[in-house]
Amino acid sequence: MTPCREKSGITRRRFLKDGVLVPLALTAGGIGLSALFLRPADGSVFYLRPPGALEEGRFTAACVKCGKCAQACPYKAIKMTGGAAGVAIGTPRVIARETPCSLCPDIPCAKACPSGALDRRLDDVAKIRMGTAVIVDRENCLSLRGLRCEVCYRQCPLIDKAITIVPRHNERTGTHSIMEPVVHRDKCVGCGICENACVLEKPVIVVLKSPPFQKDAYDF
Amino acid sequence: MSLSRRDFLKATAAAAAFAAAGAATVNPLRPDDAEAAEGGITWGKAPCRFCGTGCGVLVGVKNGRVVATKGDPQAPVNKGLNCIKGYFLSKILYGKDRLTKPLIRKGGKMVEASWDEAMTLIASKYQESIAKHGPDSVAIYGSGQWTIFEGYAALKLFKGGIGTNNIEPNARLCMASAVTGFMTTFASDEPMGCYDDLDLGDTYFLWGANMAEAHPVLFSRMIDNRLRNPRVKIIDFGTRRTRTSQMADQYIRFNPQTDLALMNALAHVIVRDKLYDEKFLKDHVVFKKGKEKIGYGLEDKFKFADEPKLISFDDYQAFLKPYTPEYVAGLSGVPAAKIVELAHLYADKSRKVNSLWTMGFNQHTRGTWANNLAYNLHLLTGKICRPGENPMSLTGQPSACGTAREVGTFTHRLPADMVVANPEHRAKTARIWGIDPAKIPAKPTYNAVEMFRALDRGDIKVVWIQVTNPFQSLPNLNRYRKGARKGDGRFVIVSDIYPTRSTELADVILPSAGWIEKEGAFGNAERRTQQWFKLVNPPGEARNDLWQTMELARRLGHGNLFPYKYPEKEIWEEYRKFGEGQGKDLAPYEAYTKARGLRWPVVNGKETRYRYAEEYDPYVKPGEGIRFYKNKADHNKAVIWARPYEPAPEVPDKKYPFWLCTGRVLEHWHTGTMTGRVPELKRAYPAAVCEMHPDDARRLGVKHLGKVRLTSRRGTIVLNLDLNGRGKAEKGNVFVAFFDENKMINELCIDAYCPISGEPDYKKCAVRVEKA
Repeated sequence: MTPCREKSGITRRRFLKDGVLVPLALTAGGIGLSALFLRPADGSVFYLRPPGALEEGRFTAACVKCGKCAQACPYKAIKMTGGAAGVAIGTPRVIARETPCSLCPDIPCAKACPSGALDRRLDDVAKIRMGTAVIVDRENCLSLRGLRCEVCYRQCPLIDKAITIVPRHNERTGTHSIMEPVVHRDKCVGCGICENACVLEKPVIVVLKSPPFQKDAYDF
Repeated sequence: MSLSRRDFLKATAAAAAFAAAGAATVNPLRPDDAEAAEGGITWGKAPCRFCGTGCGVLVGVKNGRVVATKGDPQAPVNKGLNCIKGYFLSKILYGKDRLTKPLIRKGGKMVEASWDEAMTLIASKYQESIAKHGPDSVAIYGSGQWTIFEGYAALKLFKGGIGTNNIEPNARLCMASAVTGFMTTFASDEPMGCYDDLDLGDTYFLWGANMAEAHPVLFSRMIDNRLRNPRVKIIDFGTRRTRTSQMADQYIRFNPQTDLALMNALAHVIVRDKLYDEKFLKDHVVFKKGKEKIGYGLEDKFKFADEPKLISFDDYQAFLKPYTPEYVAGLSGVPAAKIVELAHLYADKSRKVNSLWTMGFNQHTRGTWANNLAYNLHLLTGKICRPGENPMSLTGQPSACGTAREVGTFTHRLPADMVVANPEHRAKTARIWGIDPAKIPAKPTYNAVEMFRALDRGDIKVVWIQVTNPFQSLPNLNRYRKGARKGDGRFVIVSDIYPTRSTELADVILPSAGWIEKEGAFGNAERRTQQWFKLVNPPGEARNDLWQTMELARRLGHGNLFPYKYPEKEIWEEYRKFGEGQGKDLAPYEAYTKARGLRWPVVNGKETRYRYAEEYDPYVKPGEGIRFYKNKADHNKAVIWARPYEPAPEVPDKKYPFWLCTGRVLEHWHTGTMTGRVPELKRAYPAAVCEMHPDDARRLGVKHLGKVRLTSRRGTIVLNLDLNGRGKAEKGNVFVAFFDENKMINELCIDAYCPISGEPDYKKCAVRVEKA
């Protein structure tokens, strides 16, 4: 027995014990870890999904986390989520402030999707709905303070459609107009180019989850 | 408030130290205002560093560093507002790669040197070249961003000291046609109107001006006028659909170069339908005709002299005859009925009509003519010199007017509209400078393009470039970039605050003080002169360009021309003598230290809003109404010019089927050396793109964001395609902005220029576009 012990340093008994206990411990640990990280996705967190993504719940269910969309993006705008995403870990997202969606005319990311989480039949960038840009901080927006900024408007890939300029009189100076950028939710595709381009430290225009259309009897 | 006594004393001491020796003036906004200081910040006033609008800003300084800027609420131009470039002014001085030490090229490498070593080398190169090849072998190339003092010192040293007319500003590339337009029509440079017209008029014709992006704050003034007054109409004539077109009431697309024919067609209808102001024509106008088929300045040493002849109104009518709306409709693409309609709008007696233009007119091989033709429309209808109705040439640089034009830093000019060719003007200049009149050469030498052609040929050996970036901004760049490094005694000195595409070709790079790191004054497009004090020290060993020029003077033995203790103030008082009594009067220096700028002529402490007009202009006596008093040769009348349509030198053909036009974007300024160092602006608009019509792109098989190669007879460049951006190219046209130092579109531009103004045409040349 001794030579054998000297050779491997492992006894049969020891082997059996560890062979059972280590996987057990790993499993237990894994459950603990998953309890820690794989929470159900937080509904209040909004991820800017690549073009053609299904509604969030169906998207996370359908996405096989293969990363093919990210590989297909020529601008490396699509990144895979980390642990903080809960069960949505490993799903693709766009962080507009880092690299927004450039709205490639042939939408290669959606075409690369094998699972249908992204609609590969999408053929017109104007039909993309990733979210809706909103000026979330009107007090800090330079254009709304009367400065000639409007970077969000001029950089908007759907300029004059998704964002238009509505000038109004600047009461303070009396001789200038405030050029207000106005987002039109029916045209905004949520690419995040405006959020990316905003010149302030914290962007005052950001892409949010598109609110649902609410129908009523008025037709104006 | 967290202003400690220590901080306050430090700031005050620093600020006090900025005032040059003997400075008796006190900026009312400097340390005195310390009580109002916020968190230890002291505020000083200055005009914005960027365009010709001349917005006033307040500059916040703490611990010797600019920590904030804001629009000056007291500045009449902008009333506290700014554009996005102006918003980031505090960052333009603090790019990581500021030049802080003189650099000398040694064996192909730029090596740090002391100021003494650099200046000794520069002076020796000047001396050697002057001794060997004469004074016309050395030159200085400055800019419309020179402060008035810097431009004046350079002019005095080169014309009065060295004895050469080899001085030019980059303003030659930017508004020289506006100058020759003013000079030929009114015999005096710069507009009669002012920015108040943007608030007071009701009809605005824009010609080749993308005001929405190039003059953002002025544009918001004009738009506000329309918000308050529903009568206001804005008509945008252009060859590209811009943000300005988008907000205009009408966008009138015309084929490149046919603006000349269009304006003649408008005049044709005004005359045909007798819409002109007969009395005004009789009292205030003469008619003239000059040479035709005047060439394009494409060949080296091109020379041109116009031969103006007086003609009658009947002759003028006969000249206009062929420019029927129908003929010009075919040429320009503007429907004949539209031409008639717009002519009637120009002449509508119930309307206050303004014309505004910028580079579309000026950067034009017939730029002088384009300016003349615009004045024709105002002179025919008598809509001029009155509040709310004037022609207005907008400028692109902060002191294109104040320095380049008013000081006269051109080869042919002297201060206050004087020219070297006139012996009386030379005599007056020599008297003020205390030099022998024979010292100032009577013959102009080179315009900007010719100056760099001369460097390429080797006729100019030594050139000093200050406050500008010609090796990105010249047309047909490849020739002039190569020319600068041909050796054989050529020596290029570049003063700048950052490494640029020009410093990379320099033999000596000098680190300069920028903007409020020196005392200065700029003059904007409405004749408003604005002064500022030095507010912070330049970094490292960087020094004022004014000091640099005077140091060269001292080393060349011309120190006696600059005997100043407080150079800025003393230069001002000396310079002021040129315009006194000439309709170009300026106030004493103190007045500018307090005011938010004053519009000249300033007579008895009063500025002038409208030139040539009774009640406004002190040179016009009661009862005279309007008097173009600067044009004495034509009995105080303005000139309507018979200037024909002539085609561009290079038009699209089979091999190069597209028109190329270049221009600006709001986020960047000129060659982007300052705005490119503001991360926020860089992110907002990172790189130049090629605008093209979607139909053309489809034909070429390129998609939006795809790559295209643009090729002209002079150069080639690869750019990303932008089919739905802020600018919409018309069919057969492409547009590229010129700010991007990595995508120098000017390599493709043709170096043809207006024979009268010498200004090149950056708006039209022929290119081929291919999928790349």
